[in-house]
Amino acid sequence: MSIQIRGFGRTLMAGCFALASFGLAEAALAAGKMHIAFGDIATVETLNFEIAIARAKERGVDVEVTYFKSEDVASQAVVGGQADIGVGTPYALIQKVKAPIRMFYQMSNLRFYPIVNTEFYKDWKDLDGQEIAVHARGSGTEAIMMLMAQKHGIKYSNVSYVPGSEVRAGALLQGNVKASIVDSTNRNLVMEKAPGKFAVLPMEGVNATDEALYANTEYLAKEADAVEILVEELLKTTREINANPGVVAELRKKYGLLADLPADLEGEMVPYYEESVAAKVFPLNGGSEAAVKDDFGFYALAGQLEGDPAALKVEDFWTFDPLNKAVAVVGAN
Amino acid sequence: MDARIDDVVAARLAAEPDERARSRRQLLAWRLASIALFCAAWEFAGRIPINLAFPTFLETVEAFGEMLADGTMLRAYFITLQPLVIGVVLSGIIGVSAGVAMGLRKSVEWVGAPVFIVLQAAPVAALIPMVTFIYGIGMTAKVISVCLLALPVIVLNSYKAVANVNPSLLAMCRCFLGNRLQQIVKIILPDASPVIFAGLRLGISAGFIGIILAELLITPTGIGDLITYHRAVANYAHMYASIASIIVFSALTLTLLQWVEVTLFRPEKQR
Repeated sequence: MSIQIRGFGRTLMAGCFALASFGLAEAALAAGKMHIAFGDIATVETLNFEIAIARAKERGVDVEVTYFKSEDVASQAVVGGQADIGVGTPYALIQKVKAPIRMFYQMSNLRFYPIVNTEFYKDWKDLDGQEIAVHARGSGTEAIMMLMAQKHGIKYSNVSYVPGSEVRAGALLQGNVKASIVDSTNRNLVMEKAPGKFAVLPMEGVNATDEALYANTEYLAKEADAVEILVEELLKTTREINANPGVVAELRKKYGLLADLPADLEGEMVPYYEESVAAKVFPLNGGSEAAVKDDFGFYALAGQLEGDPAALKVEDFWTFDPLNKAVAVVGAN
Repeated sequence: MDARIDDVVAARLAAEPDERARSRRQLLAWRLASIALFCAAWEFAGRIPINLAFPTFLETVEAFGEMLADGTMLRAYFITLQPLVIGVVLSGIIGVSAGVAMGLRKSVEWVGAPVFIVLQAAPVAALIPMVTFIYGIGMTAKVISVCLLALPVIVLNSYKAVANVNPSLLAMCRCFLGNRLQQIVKIILPDASPVIFAGLRLGISAGFIGIILAELLITPTGIGDLITYHRAVANYAHMYASIASIIVFSALTLTLLQWVEVTLFRPEKQR
């Protein structure tokens, strides 16, 4: 019996030791590597971010990017401590869950294109009392369509939820949907497949963040140097692309990014960045208080934020310390 | 002596209903204790909290009450149940008929069995996005998703039930000069019915999985919309309430089906 107890004791100690070793290894891993949770797959549209990461790596920051199915899942990885930095706009998460995370770099502005089948509608007024399709309830696409309805004094009869720009583009082409909103890639697809059949409705006064970087406040304080390097590289890359969108193709080759990109998509790369630059998708200074206040109005309309947007405080959602330090190094634009 | 034995037997028989009632009460008490323990563990985990986004049990109940009061929960169930009921009824009728036909005729078995065995083994969640390419994003795609999950299990259970009917009973039927129709109606179907019912229960359970997968992967409607929306706007208590409600609803539906089966078709199990 005593032998059995001693044996059990040894097993228990070995177990504790193994657990302690595992814990230490985890801690070391967390301190040595910058884990980024990205709520999308790597495509042509994420090349600007990947170039900046490659450059941060060159400067000694050990970055590892994990791609998730959606922004929600990526944000959970940050809240749960499995990732250090997330990409998205977690306004709701910060406000409602009071998660100790802050956004610190505005990577891109929201750009979508309302498209209508010209056989039925010609302008915004024609959509009064008609059905539209958007991504999901509470999404940016729904907020844009609601904002435009407000501006033009119209009301939709019904809003259908069809996730995925490519699915909505397919539905437009098949005729299942007559008015929707899609991203630039799918807008081009729809226009190419059915020339003259669809029209893009004008959209003005929509200013909101599409993708921002955010992290746990503790991580931002602890790894301030690594975060600053990443922000510097993001600023430099964004400015380079804004000055010359064609540079994306060169930098992609230089850093060996998206090596298995099909040849037909390779041709879409530079036009996509040219168009995005023209539409001011990539902010030159990585965000500002004014941009955050625009976000408050937009995301309150989307149902992500609660309360009066004017009463919300920028510092409850954003910290500009890493950006200010990086701008001091690379200069304001 | 005989009279004493009769008294003892009579006393035992008289005591049996009391014992059964006591046993049922005990079983119920254990089940309720198990549920209470689960709720307490949930509340505790939410209060620690194990994750900032994990709500307590009481917050979840409150969110459920809120959604019930403002009608969103009932509207969501009304939308979710339409493709689910259509899919399950279709799977039940087609599945039992196909399974019985496969059990009765070798030629049908050769054609049908491989298809349903492959479908049962396939990770159907991966096939659901493909359904949208063929059937679009409407009600049909969701009904097909329910059928994809529910049909194979109903077909294969019915097929195995019929194929494994007690041969002694069939021999007895033949001895009494029963024809093929009498064999099927009086021997095969009654003997296979417990396994066919088990298949239907599993099929309904799979149908619930199918409809929620469809509502999460095709278009967010009904309960799938509540889950997606509340996750997107970080109303986690509402999200968990929606998930928990569909689990409880599914469990209650299956319990009800079992009760119907025992009450209507399995009187021997009621004792």
